[in-house]
Formats: sequence, structure tokens, C-alpha cells
Amino acid sequence: MSTENKLPAILIAEDDLISSRILEKNLRTWGYDTTVAVNGTQAWEALRAPQTRLALLDWMMPGTEGPELCRRIRALNKSNYTYIILLTSRDGNQDVIEGLEAGADDFMTKPVNFSELKARLQTAGRIIALEDKLLESQKRLFELATRDSLTGIWNRATILRFLVEEMDHGARENYPISTIMIDVDFFKRVNDTCGHPIGDKLLSRVSVALEKHVRPYDKVGRYGGDEFLIVLPNCSLFQVSLVAERIRAACGKMKIRTAGKTVNPTLSLGCASSECYRRPGIGRMIKESDRALYQAKSAGRDRVELCAELEPASLRKKEKPSASRKK
Amino acid sequence: MPPEKNDPGLPLIRAEALERVGNDEAFLEELLDLFGEEFESKTRALSEAISGCDATAIRELGHAIKGAAANLSLPGLQASAQAMERAGLESRIEDARAVLETLRTEFERFRKFRTGR
Repeated sequence: MSTENKLPAILIAEDDLISSRILEKNLRTWGYDTTVAVNGTQAWEALRAPQTRLALLDWMMPGTEGPELCRRIRALNKSNYTYIILLTSRDGNQDVIEGLEAGADDFMTKPVNFSELKARLQTAGRIIALEDKLLESQKRLFELATRDSLTGIWNRATILRFLVEEMDHGARENYPISTIMIDVDFFKRVNDTCGHPIGDKLLSRVSVALEKHVRPYDKVGRYGGDEFLIVLPNCSLFQVSLVAERIRAACGKMKIRTAGKTVNPTLSLGCASSECYRRPGIGRMIKESDRALYQAKSAGRDRVELCAELEPASLRKKEKPSASRKK
Repeated sequence: MPPEKNDPGLPLIRAEALERVGNDEAFLEELLDLFGEEFESKTRALSEAISGCDATAIRELGHAIKGAAANLSLPGLQASAQAMERAGLESRIEDARAVLETLRTEFERFRKFRTGR
């Protein structure tokens, strides 16, 4: 549920048809959407769903009883909290303390006093709205901590963390990790001649292009200034060269129009792959892709270069479409 | 509505039941019909449970009738159903047999009250 004033949908878990119909009738009159579960098994399935945020559970139900459902849902530790009101017979021997200790948030006796239920649901709604605000804040904090504020792609710390995680995973699963270090050619000149807003726009457009031309599970980050780093799991040197060339070609067609001028950015790209090294580490991967990037710059820019060290013979036999090709 | 219609001694406290269903007369009538249908099947099941000395089933069926009767403000039926639930809980099968008769009598009183016949 969003933090808008939208009422949460309510799960009614009640095996008695008349009780559930009366509950439904009143809840709908008050503007709530409802779903009904007629036994413990159905109720459990509905409770587990992330969208179930508010539930009225009958204590006695065939299958699994209300308190047991409360215990199970609390043990599940859902990412979204489910507010539970437990319903029981007034003369029953069911204990309010037992119900609350099982994980219910509130407790009402049947037949339900509907004015009271309406007020209690408003309390539930406030708790749910508070949790939504908290989750929203957490999400925003996470974005602030992990995203680059200009481009929206992963920031330096996060892309390096991804590299660490992927290198570990690749070592465990025995597949190669590749990296592409990218630099925007003559970026300083763009800033100096067109102004920083155009430089910022260029970086944003390049970021979009990078994300568009990698595979869905690759990670794109801003390494610093006009440098970008892409982490490509399960990707050989040959495959990374294809991705890099695709990116280079796409950015070569990019045009950024500004007052009286058109900027045509080009990229230099350096690729490295863990398959090239007996002991690849994070530092080695960064260093080798950086070295390849430097070669691309030295060789005239707007090109892709691959790390050369320990390049396997098998790769040399294959055609490397982008390496050392100048546009 | 005449005041005698809300007498707690009556089999149906209509005003209370109506309030619970948002004063929707037609909906209340629908629920009372539904109660009648369910009552028939539940008392048949109760009769079988008593014959089979199944105290758990007696308790559960008593509980179910009690809940529905309470929701519809049928105090006589609610009280009898509660007695049935307790008989099941305490495994008093012979008492359950007697309570079933009371329950049927209460239902008949409710039916006559409703239909005026």
C-alpha cells in the first residue's frame, strides 16, 4: 500500500458463512476491499501474500486456528507487516493474553460491535500508514546511499561491492567475471566549452545508454568523474568485448544539442576478464581494465581495448570484433 | 417498529440484528434464510455426531450454530447452541441428545415468529 489515504484491503478469515458475510457487508460499506478465507489453510496462503496488510482472524477455524496463524506469520518475518485482529466468542475460554502473545495486534469478541470494529480498523490503518512511511524512508535512504545522484546508476562504493560479490560468486560457481572501465573522450573539453550543465546531461545520457546495452543482470556504476565501471557476471573476455563494442557504437550515434552546438560524445573502453588470470582479485580486475582503457586512449580514443596479459590462446583464435578497431 | 419486537425474550431481536447489517432489511432476510438452511444440515450432522458419540463434532457444530445465532441476534438459539458446544466439550453425549431437542424447539419458535404462523 502506498502512503496515500487508500484504505488497506482486509482479509476475513472466518469459517462461518453468516459471520463472514456480515463482516464483508460492513467493511465494504466503510470502503474496504475484502477477501475471504474459510479455513486455516486458505487463511495462511492469503496471510503470506505481501499485499495482505490487515486481517480479521477467527480464533476457531478448521485447519489452523487463529493464534497458530499469528505465530506462523510472525515467525515468517514478512517484509510488510500484517496487522491482525483476532476474533473470538465472548463466552469462549480463549484468552486475550494468549492471543496477543501469539502475535495478534488486537482482539475482539463476537458478535462484533461494528462501531468498535470501525474505530479499531482506523487504528490499524494508522499503524500500517506509519509502517509504509518508514519503508518509504528506508527505500529513499537506500537509494541515497547506493545510487549516483546525477545519473541514478550505482555509485562507486556500490559497484565495487557488486564486483566483490560477483567475484566471490564466480569463484564458487567457476565462471568468469568481466569488467569494462569506460571514459568519456574529451569530457573536460565539453565542460569547458559547453558548460557543466551540458557535461552533466552528457553523463546522464551515457549512463542511460550503458544500462540499455548491457545484459539485464550486469551492473553499471559511476566510478568517478566521467568514468564508468560495468560488472558482467558469467562473461568471458570475448563476450565482454562484444558488449563493449555495442556500447561504443551506440554512444557514437549520440547527439546532444546545445545552443548553437551539437556534441557527439565518444567513449574509450577497457575490458578485463577474470578468466585471463590465475589469481584474479578486485584490484587486479580494476587495474587491468584501467590499463586497457589507457591503451584505448593512447591509440586514439573511441575504441575498445582488451586486457592483454595472459590472454588465452583460445581467445586469440576467435575474432575480436572491437579490439583495436578505430572509428 | 413496535417496542415488543425488540423484547429480549423473543427468538429474534430484530433491531439489534438490523443494526449489525447496516439496517439492510433485505440482506437480513437473506441471512435469516441462510441460517435456516444451514441449521437443517447442521442439526442433521449433530444427530449423526450424537449417534456416533463424536464429542469433537458435537462441540464444533454447537460452536458454529452459536456463532451464527449470535450474529443474527437469535438469543434462544444461541443459548441452546452454547449448551450443545459445552456438552461436546465435556463429552456429555446424553445431554447433547436432550439439547438437540431444545435446539429444534427453539428453531421452530424462531420460524413461527418469523413467518407469523
